[in-house]
Amino acid sequence: MNKRFLAPVVGIASFLLLWELVVRVLDVKPFILRAPSRIVRHLVEHAGTFASAAWITAMHAVGGLLIALAVALVVGSLMAASEFVEHATGPVLTLLQVTPFVAYIASVVLWLGSGTPPVLFITGLVCMPAFAFATVDGMRGADPAARELLASVDASRWEVLWRLRLPSALPSLFTAARYNVGLALIAAYLVEGGNFANAGLGAIGRRAAALNEGDTLWAAIFAMALLGTVLLVLISLLQRVVLHWHVSQRTART
Amino acid sequence: MSRIVVRDLTKVYGDLEVLSPMSLDIAEGSFVSIIGPSGCGKTTLMRIVAGLEPATSGVVELSGGSPAEARRQKRVAMVPQQPGLLPWRTVEANARLLLDVHTAANPSDAADPTELLREVGLGDFLDAHPHELSGGMQQRVALVRALALHAPLVVMDEPFAALDEITRAEMRLLLARLVEGRGATVLFITHSISEAVALSDRVLVSSSRPGRIVADIAVDLPRPRPADVEDDARFVALCAEVRHALHGGRS
Repeated sequence: MNKRFLAPVVGIASFLLLWELVVRVLDVKPFILRAPSRIVRHLVEHAGTFASAAWITAMHAVGGLLIALAVALVVGSLMAASEFVEHATGPVLTLLQVTPFVAYIASVVLWLGSGTPPVLFITGLVCMPAFAFATVDGMRGADPAARELLASVDASRWEVLWRLRLPSALPSLFTAARYNVGLALIAAYLVEGGNFANAGLGAIGRRAAALNEGDTLWAAIFAMALLGTVLLVLISLLQRVVLHWHVSQRTART
Repeated sequence: MSRIVVRDLTKVYGDLEVLSPMSLDIAEGSFVSIIGPSGCGKTTLMRIVAGLEPATSGVVELSGGSPAEARRQKRVAMVPQQPGLLPWRTVEANARLLLDVHTAANPSDAADPTELLREVGLGDFLDAHPHELSGGMQQRVALVRALALHAPLVVMDEPFAALDEITRAEMRLLLARLVEGRGATVLFITHSISEAVALSDRVLVSSSRPGRIVADIAVDLPRPRPADVEDDARFVALCAEVRHALHGGRS
């Protein structure tokens, strides 16, 4: 058990230490790379500002993830139910995944106005495809024997969806969630920076970059990394509780 | 109880004739096994009887009604080859699964799954999850799940095929005990000659594809079947008879 917590801490600490050493020993100029100690000091000095901005960004990312999940469950269920829908929708979802959303942030802000709506819209949009594909895979993978069994007592489509297909999709949905957390944070950060609401870590980062405030910019980056770690840990904990029956949670330690 | 009448049943998939005209008449409350080589259409026959698949031609009647009707009224209980337990449900919740869906058609005299689980020796595992059970225990949950429906017809598709020989023998005794006196008609599909003879009132031997019944052997062993029924000379003779019919059907 201890090793599971120790190893990541050792890994990250070594990385930061190496970074610190490189900056000090090679005397790297601060405008190229700052030492982590300096970034952390700035972060701690302005802890209140960064904490409240991080809270806003976290709400944006989690809100976007939940919207994406809700839409994807509907889209994914329809795709799993009909091959035509799957073949018609799949390419559109792939397009959403491969198009650089940064390019259309400005258009969405003009359309939805500044503030939270464009952040949630784009975060939800870019996270939706992975959830939808995970839903389809998971639902298709439902145990054929169990499907036959439910058919043998004339269970309704809704009952099959609720009792069998949705729970069967949970493992792949969690995998998608782990991947989507990073994407949601990046999307939230960039859209916060790209609108005029002046809220969230993205807004701080954008302004710091424009004003050449390196300490603030790097502190925002560290805050984002911290936020991502916290969200991933929360998802892992949730996964452990919800998927206690799944093989992934049982063999994790062996 | 359900009487099963099959008249001139055929099933064709594309060019593949799976069942050639087949007729059966299975009495209410009897235990009938169908034994035959792999791919002889046993499972197809079972799925048609359970109302999961339409016949190409011919008629199947369950107590005078169609299999589709029986399915809608939850009058057919199935035990598939794989237990098909839901890994997120506890043993107790799995045993209850068929009662939890399409509840409008639940019989008023549905058995209590918890009591049945105790009866099959799983009383200490009600809150366990399927992955904590052995293969034999999982299949026992599948049996309870079917019997809890209290359906007049129980169809079983090689339910013990995936189990080891020792567990199979135990399951055979358990099934005999559970079914005897419950009054349901049982259609049992198997690869095992001794299993068929030990459990059945009648053994129907199917030819290889396209499947048709080549022998209809009445098993006149006493009921309830004693635990040592397989040592009985009559049992050995019946097994030989089934084996000959199987080989004859192949040539």
